[in-house]
Amino acid sequence: MNIVVAIKHVPSTADELEINDEGVNLDFDEVDFTINEFDEQAIEQAVLVKEASGGEVTVIGVDVIEELDGVLHTALAKGADKAAKIVGDLEPPIDSHTQARWLADAIGGLTPDLVLTGVQAVDDLDGQIGPMLAAYLDLPYVGVVTGLSVSDGTATVHKEYAGGVMAEFEVNLPAVVGVQAAEKPPRYAPISKIRQMAKSADLEEYEADENVGDSGCEIRKMAKPVSAGHAEMLEGDAEEVAEKIIEILEERGLL
Amino acid sequence: MLTSIERVLFILMALALGGLAGAGFYGIYRIVRSGRSAPPRQNVLSNLIRAAIDVLLQKPMFRSRPVLSTFHAFIFFGFSFYFLVNVTDVLEGFIPGFELVYGGQNSSISLPAGLVNLFNLTADILSVLTLLGMIVFLVRRFLAHDRRLKFNDGVLLNPKVAKGWIGYDSLIVGVFILLHVGSRFLGQALRLAEYGQSDPFMPFASLTANLFTGLSEGGFTAAIHTTWWLALGLILLFLPYFVRSKHIHLMIAPINIGLGKQTPRGELDPATPPAAHTNGDEPADDEDPGARVLQDLSWPRMLDAYACIMCNRCNDVCPAHSQGLVLSPAAVEVNKRYLINEDFTALAFKGDRIDKPLTDVISPEAVWACTTCYACVRVCPVGNEPMADIVDIRRRMIIEGDELDSGIQTALESLAKNGNWFGKGSRGRSRWTKGLEFKVKDVTKEEAEYLWFVGDTASFDARVTPITQTVARVLKRAGVDFGILGRLERNSGNDVRRVGEEGLFEQLAEDNAAALGKGQFQKIVTTDPHSLNALRNEYGPFVESQWPVLHYTNLLLDLFQSGKLNVTHPLSHYRVTYHDPCYLGRYNGEFSAPRQLLELMGVELTEMPRNCENSYCCGAGGGQIWLGSTPAGERPAENRIREALATLAPPSNGDGNVIEPDDGQLLFVVTCPKDVIMYTDAVKTTGNEGKIEVRDMIQLVEEAIGGAMPEPEPETQSGGEA
Ligand SMILES: Cc1cc2nc3c(=O)[nH]c(=O)nc-3n(C[C@H](O)[C@H](O)[C@H](O)COP(=O)(O)OP(=O)(O)OC[C@H]3O[C@@H](n4cnc5c(N)ncnc54)[C@H](O)[C@@H]3O)c2cc1C
Ligand code: SF4
Ligand code: SF4
Repeated sequence: MNIVVAIKHVPSTADELEINDEGVNLDFDEVDFTINEFDEQAIEQAVLVKEASGGEVTVIGVDVIEELDGVLHTALAKGADKAAKIVGDLEPPIDSHTQARWLADAIGGLTPDLVLTGVQAVDDLDGQIGPMLAAYLDLPYVGVVTGLSVSDGTATVHKEYAGGVMAEFEVNLPAVVGVQAAEKPPRYAPISKIRQMAKSADLEEYEADENVGDSGCEIRKMAKPVSAGHAEMLEGDAEEVAEKIIEILEERGLL
Repeated sequence: MLTSIERVLFILMALALGGLAGAGFYGIYRIVRSGRSAPPRQNVLSNLIRAAIDVLLQKPMFRSRPVLSTFHAFIFFGFSFYFLVNVTDVLEGFIPGFELVYGGQNSSISLPAGLVNLFNLTADILSVLTLLGMIVFLVRRFLAHDRRLKFNDGVLLNPKVAKGWIGYDSLIVGVFILLHVGSRFLGQALRLAEYGQSDPFMPFASLTANLFTGLSEGGFTAAIHTTWWLALGLILLFLPYFVRSKHIHLMIAPINIGLGKQTPRGELDPATPPAAHTNGDEPADDEDPGARVLQDLSWPRMLDAYACIMCNRCNDVCPAHSQGLVLSPAAVEVNKRYLINEDFTALAFKGDRIDKPLTDVISPEAVWACTTCYACVRVCPVGNEPMADIVDIRRRMIIEGDELDSGIQTALESLAKNGNWFGKGSRGRSRWTKGLEFKVKDVTKEEAEYLWFVGDTASFDARVTPITQTVARVLKRAGVDFGILGRLERNSGNDVRRVGEEGLFEQLAEDNAAALGKGQFQKIVTTDPHSLNALRNEYGPFVESQWPVLHYTNLLLDLFQSGKLNVTHPLSHYRVTYHDPCYLGRYNGEFSAPRQLLELMGVELTEMPRNCENSYCCGAGGGQIWLGSTPAGERPAENRIREALATLAPPSNGDGNVIEPDDGQLLFVVTCPKDVIMYTDAVKTTGNEGKIEVRDMIQLVEEAIGGAMPEPEPETQSGGEA
């Protein structure tokens, strides 16, 4: 079993996000990057499959800001066997079409039996890298998956539909699967293991081909949500604010 | 006195049973040595002597349970003196005509009467006291069924312990002591009765002798021989049992105390044995951090198992056990001992390792219930450190990827990513300064006398940041030249290390050390006892120079004493009690500054029964504040609030706490950001809002000095972080 997990480095929402001066994207100098949370589910699911049915897990991502190593080392500490990154003279943002192209080129050469992606990434909420990968590699795709097991060249995957309806699919391998949740919560990677990986692991590198073209879409404007303008912010500590709320409610005859 | 046959028999028994016991002791030595290495002990001899003196004075015992400790002292002094008594008894048995009654005047060997009388008097009184002490202990265990000798439901116990073997062991030891001391005492009484005359230096024996008047000559001989054998033959019989019994504490405890931890309380032993660090910092490959099986533990932890007398004093003070959880520090030691006994010969003599899993010592659930409050270690009369076992077990669980509590995992992941457990970016760390009327220096850019290490809770928790701002204002008003590390500060790693995540602790310490290295300052001050502990005791390997680390209460006291702050509004309208945070008090011995501050400000302080060294943990430490779930039972902080109320407003006739209106406001004063959260919450959950209020020390200071700052001028409001 050759399992490949595609992961994406996305802006971290731990800090408040800033918009760049042109107002068309984030100010990437002012944001930290982190692994897309669904990709952590995909990595966990890959390691679970490996533990259950054997095989090898390779984690691969586009190194947009040249800080992907930490993420890859973490994946290795969690049980991945190999890690690779797509490098070049890159700068954020790089749209998902371009990333899907690069990933497909690299992953195609790895002759995977199973490709896992996160169901979608929090940066552009496009949800399309998985389907596009499948298209480029000419493989079947199942998305929004919450569990997966493998036997005899087929994968059995679970999906949860709205209203609590559950479905089970059988997919011929190789296939691409978009993971929403692994069967177990992602495991913890002890820092000393990550550091050990940082010292010893070799990360394979693929050159990004700058001539693959892009999505053809352009962001025209990006802004923080503007409040409708009618909100009155109540200032003060909890006690004062509570008092003001009661006042207002009484004023309007609601109490 | 003895017949030839008896003498030969005694010598043969002494050789055989003594030899067996000797082999047992050697086995114990081998088992203890089979543990991993520990930081080397310095000045071993002088420490052993100091320990012996402490034990002779019974000092470690009187840390708790004063009444029972007194009875223990009776047995201890009696038993110790009996070493001498046994020697003279053997001489009485083997040297014809040698005897000590009546000052030794009838003895075949001439003896100094004064000395012999003193000896007789001491032996007579101590015999009675020992018997009394032993009876008290047996009654307490077997008739009064002292609850403290029981374990909570669900505590993992070795099958034998669960079947009550500690009780059997105690019974055997108790009966042995009663027979041994009782027989010797009766033997002396019989001698007096045989002479038909009392001895003023053996008052109790003389009284007892009255029971035997009228016994025939043959009767006396038989009885004296029997009591001699019951006193001394029994010792020989008991020797091999001693090796298996908890009674061996009488020999191991002083050794364990003498060879105890020499590094500060707040510095954990390394996760990998020191010997494994052969070249540089990298541990040898075969030495994993922490412990999974018995012999992964360091030798002092093996010795602990032999020192433990199974008194459960540690359970009494353990916040987790008191809450009814499945953690029992005593069970850790007891189970280790029973686990060793199961395979004693193999562990001692076979040489090859037997992997006795530590999951037979403590359940994972219990491992994750420990707050690392150090109370069990502090109270243990024989110098045991059950907490150290727990941290070592956590360390291995973390490195080997055992399932983690979701809350702890989330906190660790955030700490690894962001350097704080609030899931916030590092830029937000100095956001609290935005509300100030002045700019706080960044010591990596500007020089300042004090570096204020703010810590996570004081920086990020909205319930605490107003207090943090007050600290800043008071310091500013007092003219203290201080700055912060701003976004470069990371969590100190104190609790991360106690959760067992050694690698993350190192990463955080290295990041902080790098930031501190960039800073220009002379001293470190912090409001957070956890940060204080790590910075003071555990940053040695990471920083180039060690700065003095002060708690803000020390600095505040200094400011009052040097006249930079003055009490203009004495706080006599408050009646307060003060809670010592574990990592400030028990760990770092800082008890007096907060109390002196309270006195200076004129508040009436009433101490809770559990104060200073014996303070009770709030339940937040050691990663407990991160737990994803709240275990059932009265939480330690709730228990503490009830204790505070009972102290400040004692209940009368079961009517609940009585608070007189003119008593003044009751306050629960804290000096730790986590305590602000824990106790404010506990006041609510115990339904005591309005009765008692939680205040940080700085809030009292602010009031006593008449406000920290003048009202901010509107135009100067632009301040904030650098
Ligand atoms: C977990 C997840 C959550 C997402 N959440 C959002 C979100 O909140 N907001 C958002 O904008 N995008 C969201 N997306 C992105 C969304 O998936 C993309 O817009 C994607 O392109 C939809 O394509 P699909 O092939 O899945 O189409 P489908 O989901 O099958 O259909 C999408 C739309 O295409 C049209 N369509 C499809 N079939 C036909 C047909 N036979 N005839 C006529 N019209 C048809 C319909 O308008 C239909 O609503 C999410 C994606 C994922 C994976
Ligand atoms: S560890 Fe110490 S306090 Fe606890 S039971 Fe053993 S001897 Fe008593
Ligand atoms: S350190 Fe505190 S919580 Fe942990 S076992 Fe000891 S007494 Fe209990």
